[in-house]
Amino acid sequence: MRELLTKITDLATQKLGAQYAEARGQKLFKTSLTLKEERIEAAKQGIESGVAIRVLFNGAWGFASVGSLDSAILKSALSDACKMAKVASTKLRAPIKLASVKAISDRVVVKPKINPSEVQMEDKINTALAVNKTILSFDNRVKSCGLDYFDLTGTSVFVNSDGTSIEQDKLYVWSRITASAQSEGVFTFSREEIGSTAGYALFDQQPPEELGKKVAKRAIQQLNAKSVKGGKFPVVLGPNVVGVFVHEAFGHLAEADLALSGGVLANNLGKKIGSNLVTFYDDGTIEGSFGAFKYDDEGVASQKTLLIKDGVVAGLMHNRETAQKFGAEPTGNARAEDFHVEPIIRMRCTYMAPRDQTLEELVEGVKSGYYFKSFRGGQANLDGTFQVGIQEGYEIVDGEIGAPVRNASISGNTLETLHQVDGVGKDFQLDPGRCGKGQTAFIGDGGPHIRVKEMIVGGSA
Amino acid sequence: MAVLEKATMLSIAEKAVEEALRKGAQEVEAYVYEGQATNIGIELGQISKSNRIIDRGIGIRIAINKAIGFAYTNVIDDSKAIETAVASALSAAKASKPDPDWKGLPQKKSYAPTEKTFDKKILELSSEELVNVAATMLDAAGQADKRVFPIEGGVGGGYVSHAVANSNGVEGFDGGTMVECSLATLAKEGGSVTPVCFEFDASREYNLDPTWVGKEAARLAVTALKTKSVETKSAKVIFTQFALQDLLSYTLINAIKADSVQRNQSPFKGKIGEKVASENLTIFDDGLFVGGLRTSVFDGEGVPHQKTAVIERGILKNFIYDNYSAKKEDKESTGNAARAGYLSTPNIDTTNFHLMPGAKTTDEMLAEVDDGLIVYYLQGAHSSNPVSGEFSVVATPAWKIKDGKITHSSRGVMLAGNVFEVLKNISVIGGNERQMGSMIAPWVQVENVRVIGK
Repeated sequence: MRELLTKITDLATQKLGAQYAEARGQKLFKTSLTLKEERIEAAKQGIESGVAIRVLFNGAWGFASVGSLDSAILKSALSDACKMAKVASTKLRAPIKLASVKAISDRVVVKPKINPSEVQMEDKINTALAVNKTILSFDNRVKSCGLDYFDLTGTSVFVNSDGTSIEQDKLYVWSRITASAQSEGVFTFSREEIGSTAGYALFDQQPPEELGKKVAKRAIQQLNAKSVKGGKFPVVLGPNVVGVFVHEAFGHLAEADLALSGGVLANNLGKKIGSNLVTFYDDGTIEGSFGAFKYDDEGVASQKTLLIKDGVVAGLMHNRETAQKFGAEPTGNARAEDFHVEPIIRMRCTYMAPRDQTLEELVEGVKSGYYFKSFRGGQANLDGTFQVGIQEGYEIVDGEIGAPVRNASISGNTLETLHQVDGVGKDFQLDPGRCGKGQTAFIGDGGPHIRVKEMIVGGSA
Repeated sequence: MAVLEKATMLSIAEKAVEEALRKGAQEVEAYVYEGQATNIGIELGQISKSNRIIDRGIGIRIAINKAIGFAYTNVIDDSKAIETAVASALSAAKASKPDPDWKGLPQKKSYAPTEKTFDKKILELSSEELVNVAATMLDAAGQADKRVFPIEGGVGGGYVSHAVANSNGVEGFDGGTMVECSLATLAKEGGSVTPVCFEFDASREYNLDPTWVGKEAARLAVTALKTKSVETKSAKVIFTQFALQDLLSYTLINAIKADSVQRNQSPFKGKIGEKVASENLTIFDDGLFVGGLRTSVFDGEGVPHQKTAVIERGILKNFIYDNYSAKKEDKESTGNAARAGYLSTPNIDTTNFHLMPGAKTTDEMLAEVDDGLIVYYLQGAHSSNPVSGEFSVVATPAWKIKDGKITHSSRGVMLAGNVFEVLKNISVIGGNERQMGSMIAPWVQVENVRVIGK
């Protein structure tokens, strides 16, 4: 495939007048399962192959995607991309330029302990069934459960007109488990996600029974939980909530494309925006984590990128285009879900660095507040407004974790909230997730337990 | 755009069905998909991107002894690739476990035609024309106010077709077009940046108003500049279509799916015929709505689309079904099997979820509010409890209404409550319906929404 793609990028720059060209060819194999209770909705297997071509022409981007590896079809797609970019460039005020990078030639092979493509479909089904059986037999107030599973294997070849040529294996294993419970008119819902780039051994680390129990227990526990009072409270956040906060409330603002789009971080580089305890990274190098990869989809090596150090904004996440605009180095954050779409700036594993306190110490300092352990969803806006829904939370009364609460959420403004962090734990946990920004990216996020002096807590009470 | 002919699409589907039957499938369904799109993109306030995407594929669903297997491939011009997909679906079905509730694929039924879902002009749109539409929209936003920054957006034309064939003789083809333009803006003044505001226009026929989109996206951002806090209390809230769609998507929509009801995940279970909403609320799911963004002849299993009453004058009338969930209750599918292209098996979803309009104009609605809020965009609706309907979301931003006039915006305001209570507290329904994805709705005013100010 490398030769074919090289021919295309050569044709683009040598014959068609493109300033820059890249071609990304992929062959992807996917197995997936959907279970509802003990019913297997379908066992699914799929193959996709195709090429994404991107050119820079007169300073404008042209992109074409086709589900084919046929040379004539690729040439026609290339010609479309060049023509369209030329038309798009007619209204351009500031032509796009790319930061220069070293040409790379590499072959990245993954060697997992257990390759999911070598695991029988029957085994995957039995593992999934074991999870759901555990959930359903946990308590008779559990009314339903669901499990989605997929694994993705294949290869991605990236070639560009700067001389880079990379072939990388792809490997992802992921599952989401949900449960709902009902009692006396109260409905509760619980979910858990697991994911890895290290292969199917994921299910050895997290046995199906344990997973099922965790999800079921949370749904049941919420049945007797109180509703939260709305208002401002001190809160202690668990690593799972810290992770989604770092990702949603801060991470997106540190994506250079969004920073340029008017996000609040653009004018805060080098400035102090949080307490001394706040240090954040976006790291694509944690082996086996859901956000790990060696090269991004512009052929730039992934790295550990410092975003905030001791409360001061240290850097942003870049692709080649934004790096050029900021006079920075590309950070390897350009990712495309697959060959149907263009690479855009995405996070990898985004987390807060641990410090030195224990959970007990963090909670001790709170007279009346909440401990939020696990999130249900989160979202943020460029102005720094964020909201995170909580699926597992507890009261804190006089320095002790108390009764469970349900349907809470936290919100606020990121820049204000980071100043309010007054305690950071010494523990650390990274969770897998999927992030949507027009396309889906597999990511990780996490951190230690932390305490925030004051946060807006919303609930349905 | 050169698109695949009806005969080609149908023949690919039929051949796959024959191949699967020959190889031992008891039942088989083939779903062939084609999607093509051309887009011009706006980034950082300028037109700087373009893309052309062609995506085709086939998904094959097979039943052997009530066990279901599915496989897909995006190579449909090669019979070998399709044979491989058939073999893969067969092996998946053999590995799977029987489902006692499986009562077969849908039977053949006659189709009704759709109106205003295809426009040849969209197929013939040139990049030049798309660039002009994008420029018109950008200029309209830029000229509206100096403090406005268009940040991203685009203009695109697309075509989607699908063909279904199954071993019960179902056979259908439908293709349609869509065109869309959208713009996200924010406004800056001093050190203050507004949340992102957004407007769009979409249509099945080539009939866009980019000037309105640009102006409106700018107007919203500018009015979000002046900001003051609001007090914590229960208040009247007008939900515009964006906010309404967000709020209902993760809760009400879930509650009316037959699958949720059968699996005890819907608070509507056992409530058909009961009052679940305010009397002024009537909702249809209408897969045949003229010019609807989700209108097509049949659903993802080849079952004809139809108009289904979901809530009529506050009374819960029907749930929405695919073939599997309907057969489980000895009913007929309501044509609500949705597909994510060729990649997925069918799952239940709304088509055009039509919340019927009332008589009031937006001016009248605003004029009658002495003290309340209007919200366009919500944040965090996806973290609502999908089973209970409890939500706690942030309005980004909320606009304060005082004595019939919008006075200022307020950031970080949380709204909390239960969607099923919200339905009962709807007091006014506007006459200004518009299409937004799978929802067709006007503005809706709700009483007693818990507002948590900053």
